Amino acid sequence: MKTRDIIRRAGKSLRHAKVRTLLTSLAISVGAFTVTVALAAGAGGQAYTDSLVKNNGDQRSLTVFPKADDSDSDAPKVHDAATSTKQGVLTDSDIETLRKVKGVGEITPAYNISAAYMTRGAEKYDTGIAMKVDRTAMPLAAGSLDDNQIPAGEVVIPDSYLDALGFKDAKAAIGKTLTVHVEKPGAGFGAAPEGKDFTFKIVAVGKKSATVLHYTAELNISTKDGKAIYDYQTAGAGRSGQYYALTVRVKDGFEVQEVKEAIKAKDYSVFSLQDLQQALFQFIDVIKWGVAGFGFLAILASVFGIINTQYISVLERTQQIGLMKALGARRRDVGRLFRYEAAWVGFLGGIIGTGLAVSTSLLNPWIAKTLDLEPGTQLLLFNPVTSVVLVASLMLVAVAAGYFPSRKAAKLDPIEALRTE
Amino acid sequence: MIEVKNVTKTYGKKQNAFQALKDVSFTIPDGASVAILGKSGSGKSTLMHAMSGLDRPETGEVVIDGRNILKLNQKQVDLFRSHRMSFIFQSFFVQANESCYDNVSLPLEIAGVPPRARDKKIIAALEAVELLDKKKSRARDLSGGQKQRLAIARAIVNEPKILFADEPTGNLDSATGAVVEDLLFGYNKNKGATLIIVTHDAELAAKCDMRINVKDGIVESIETPKGRTK
Repeated sequence: MKTRDIIRRAGKSLRHAKVRTLLTSLAISVGAFTVTVALAAGAGGQAYTDSLVKNNGDQRSLTVFPKADDSDSDAPKVHDAATSTKQGVLTDSDIETLRKVKGVGEITPAYNISAAYMTRGAEKYDTGIAMKVDRTAMPLAAGSLDDNQIPAGEVVIPDSYLDALGFKDAKAAIGKTLTVHVEKPGAGFGAAPEGKDFTFKIVAVGKKSATVLHYTAELNISTKDGKAIYDYQTAGAGRSGQYYALTVRVKDGFEVQEVKEAIKAKDYSVFSLQDLQQALFQFIDVIKWGVAGFGFLAILASVFGIINTQYISVLERTQQIGLMKALGARRRDVGRLFRYEAAWVGFLGGIIGTGLAVSTSLLNPWIAKTLDLEPGTQLLLFNPVTSVVLVASLMLVAVAAGYFPSRKAAKLDPIEALRTE
Repeated sequence: MIEVKNVTKTYGKKQNAFQALKDVSFTIPDGASVAILGKSGSGKSTLMHAMSGLDRPETGEVVIDGRNILKLNQKQVDLFRSHRMSFIFQSFFVQANESCYDNVSLPLEIAGVPPRARDKKIIAALEAVELLDKKKSRARDLSGGQKQRLAIARAIVNEPKILFADEPTGNLDSATGAVVEDLLFGYNKNKGATLIIVTHDAELAAKCDMRINVKDGIVESIETPKGRTK
């Protein structure tokens, strides 16, 4: 018999047993649904994590800290003049050491700087101030940043400052100036603090975004200006030339991971965003495969349903099988007829299951709202290839399940079969 | 020509063994109409199964057109059946859920006839049994006589050289039975096909060219137009 004819006949016999076919397919579809949703949630979770990581850090930047005390003992250590005083601090000699590591580009020390107040002439306001060290994308309400960096002499203000600073909207602020007053302790005990004004041009207005994990409304300036403020504030003080961390930019063409290992080998603690990303991905993967596992169990359970249904079908159609064999149908053809029927059931179940699963993507806006995610976030991300592969595998599983019933059909003795009325 | 030579068929084993056919031999010429006549349990159905390759007697030969079908492998026997012979059964065995068209299509599909070539044959077969108007009706909606006519259409659609009919009128009243008989003998005469009817109906058997009387697994006598043997 021709394959096409067998497929057609298999489809027809299923149509004659609609309720049974539908129920068997539904059993499979439960598994298909669970697996599809689990995979979609996994994909969506990864995509979301990805955007989180991108908005919270520059993936080609490494943060270098002094080597942490990694011994398990909490007992105090014996003092050693050579190493102990340097604990917890990085200096210019560390910058020199890092510069020699292959693949290391720009090195930016992390300074602690502070502003006394900011003003545009009238009222003075308290504000935090920070340097934008890496090339992390910054959600902006207006203006733009070339290569995600703030040029020297310019500043990014948060949109929550607009009212106080007298701007009617974010666009109006661009290009205007802002003065930041910085103070340092006066020379000598009890002396009044000294102060200095730094004036910046507003280049962009930042905004809060759900994808930024730690958002602080503060001024952001370039590293160059940050260094100027730092130098002013620490000139003559003991903490000059000491940094709590260094941000290392990995040169293009070098693997972040390799550079990280190289720096680690020089006895530093290194942290990269990729570490965080990988940890999150691993976490999502565990959940994804956990839920998918239940789906696979459901599919396994439905396999017995298919076997059962197919056995009943063979019994019901003994006479038809006998007739086909009498008319010269080969064992192989009869076997195929029942296996293709099983494949149809698997196909139907797969289509129903994945179809229902894909329709849950309509819930995406609701999920994003309920979980307070960035609007437009798709936490259920469906991949058509996955669905096609899943449906195809379900068909294979169904065919495998139909193996024993189909073998029973193929082996039926036509004389016996035609004797049954 | 069909030659049955020394065919013996035993069912069961050892002390339960039962010989359904005991050293049966006869020859049927091409194009003949033959009745295998006997009571139930006489072995006439077993004989039909042996002649069609559905059953395999342990000894003897069934030579059809020079080939011993008992020596063929399963695939060759299936191929032989799908191209050379066909069956009509007492209880019709039409597929109740399928349309008349699909019922008749089945043997062609089994024989691997391409879809394009099928349609013409199916229409011709349905026309021959006067069921063309029921082409799209489901077989379950037909009357008994119509079902048997449908079975005949299915049996002749692939133009077999040998047509086996197992009590073809057994479930029909005499009027519809007569129509079925006419169709069978018509096909036998017009196409020159061999018609083998298994029956216990002496009246039907009387209409055949040749009668093989079977009793307790033995061919008791063979009546041909030339006379009675044995």
